[in-house]
Amino acid sequence: MTQATTAVEGVSLRLGGFSLRDIDLTVAPGQILVILGPNGAGKSVTLETIAGFHRPKAGRIVIGGRDVTDLPPERRRVGLLFQNFGLFPHLTVAANIVLGLRAGRKPAMRPHDPALAPLLARFHIDHLADRLPEDLSPGEKQRTALARALAMQPDLFMFDEPFSALDAQSRETLREELRAFLRETRIPAIFVTHDQADAAMLADRLAIMNHGAIVQEGPAADLFKAPANVFVADFVGIDNRLPGRVIGRAGDRWRIDVGGRLLLARDDRFAGETDANVFVCIRGEDVVLRGAGITECGNAATNRLTMRVVGVSGLGAFRKVALDGDFSLVAYLTRRDTEKLGLAPGNDTIVEIDPEAIHLLTDSGGNTIQWSRPDASTRA
Amino acid sequence: MLPRPRGVLLTSWLLGGVLLVFIVVPLARLIGSQSAGSLMRVAARPDVRQAILLSLEAALLATCVAAVIGVPLAYALARAEFPGKGIVGAIVDIPLAVPHTVAGIALLFVFGRRGIFGGFADRWLDLRFWGTIAGIVVAMLFVSAPYAVNAARIGFEAVDPRLEKVARTIGMGPWRVLWTITLPLAWRGIATGLTLTYARAISEFAAVVILVYYPMTAPVKIYELFLRFGLNRAAGMATLLLAITLVLLILFRYVAYGQKKATGYGR
Repeated sequence: MTQATTAVEGVSLRLGGFSLRDIDLTVAPGQILVILGPNGAGKSVTLETIAGFHRPKAGRIVIGGRDVTDLPPERRRVGLLFQNFGLFPHLTVAANIVLGLRAGRKPAMRPHDPALAPLLARFHIDHLADRLPEDLSPGEKQRTALARALAMQPDLFMFDEPFSALDAQSRETLREELRAFLRETRIPAIFVTHDQADAAMLADRLAIMNHGAIVQEGPAADLFKAPANVFVADFVGIDNRLPGRVIGRAGDRWRIDVGGRLLLARDDRFAGETDANVFVCIRGEDVVLRGAGITECGNAATNRLTMRVVGVSGLGAFRKVALDGDFSLVAYLTRRDTEKLGLAPGNDTIVEIDPEAIHLLTDSGGNTIQWSRPDASTRA
Repeated sequence: MLPRPRGVLLTSWLLGGVLLVFIVVPLARLIGSQSAGSLMRVAARPDVRQAILLSLEAALLATCVAAVIGVPLAYALARAEFPGKGIVGAIVDIPLAVPHTVAGIALLFVFGRRGIFGGFADRWLDLRFWGTIAGIVVAMLFVSAPYAVNAARIGFEAVDPRLEKVARTIGMGPWRVLWTITLPLAWRGIATGLTLTYARAISEFAAVVILVYYPMTAPVKIYELFLRFGLNRAAGMATLLLAITLVLLILFRYVAYGQKKATGYGR
């Protein structure tokens, strides 16, 4: 690492009946790490441990190059935002921010710190200085909370589902604002959520968590494209996960039997063998529809099949098209394409799937999680 | 919007109205029975004035003690998880269920002349709980402290612990978080609890009369007037006490709930 690192190294923790097992995470300056997982996975406990509210039984926490494992929360320099942004409801915007400015200093009771005005201006909340949090819009709350956290010059930002109480539209706006802010300051950030849209929009790196352990961690694009197991696949929203069987190999392609149809898949990470049961994972946007007019011709290297449209749903820019043939498939198209191709229930359509767009997962039986880390214990 | 369930609301008001009438009518009759002149005459009596002042003073002291030792207990009950938490909560509620004569007698075993603490305090601290305001405070505290603890606990429980965590992360130590964030946010619950404590302390009769007959608090004095001179004399002083406590309660409520304004601090 060239710059000061922020990392969680082998942290384990026991908290009542719950435990965190061997958590390893790294965030570089300018990066956003999203921890995605279902409720009760241990995401919040992980954040609280990083912030210093639980003492790990093993492992080390490094923030901005400093080992903070033994420091109390007030000396870790971590900006924490949670649902509704955690503004102090009895204090005005200015008073909230001044508390951040006084971090670690003696509480000189001056409401108008000289550093306050520039902060208010930077976040465009100068006119709100004397308002109480209850009178702010979600965006203004987020900016106030960011200003307050930034005031104490944090080495790390952490977010615990800050948008979970918001409507979809504010959520999207605030996500973009937040992303721009983090890009600009280059302060590393950890963002906890169970919403894959948050993850898709924000994550540079992604960690999937379940039952107190990291199931898979890596660059976000990798996880979205090539989840390591069924749990991750379902969690990053792989739309099509079809059971199949490996028939054999032809060059760099795997030949897979799915519902009696042959599909070719190119997945260099897959290390299966003939007759192995697999899951064929295809993202909805990688299912290409050609309409009914085109005959099956051309490139034999792609998967091409005829399927019947059984449903079209969605009202916004995108349509979800449900298809049926030897197996069921979901495709995502723009509204325009859907209309142009005349996709309506009952019509047939040509479906193309690039072998490169297919990701293969070993079917390890039911929902058992196959750990990406060989040393991690299996789920109890 | 669904139409209001009229039948249910109507029945609720009819039944609840009986209770409201039941509370208001006796008090209104009591106040109505007194002319301004007779009230002035009662208020002019030094023994009556002394008793009322003693009640107000002792109740204030009891409330202060309840604040100092009851509010911390409320905080602990609201924030800490420990085995036996339910039992501790139940112990706090005991004085609400025990007849107050029983409370008074139990207190005699500890604070009486031969009580385990009373004797010690008399000998070594020159502090007596019989015939003194200290005894009155003790009796009042015993019966009224649960109100302080329970209401303050609700107040603390309503403060999102995550706010305290955020406060820690922006650089405040645990004590500063308590003073700057937790107490101001729980203030309403605490104030409600202390108001109830004060009101309950003023009104206490049985425990006080068993532990300390003299000097007389207002309720004891009213009882004495009732026994010696009959209803009319007692009603005069009762009206006076009622008026004073009502004014105080309204004042407290105003202080606790009236100012819903910003406390951006330092201004």
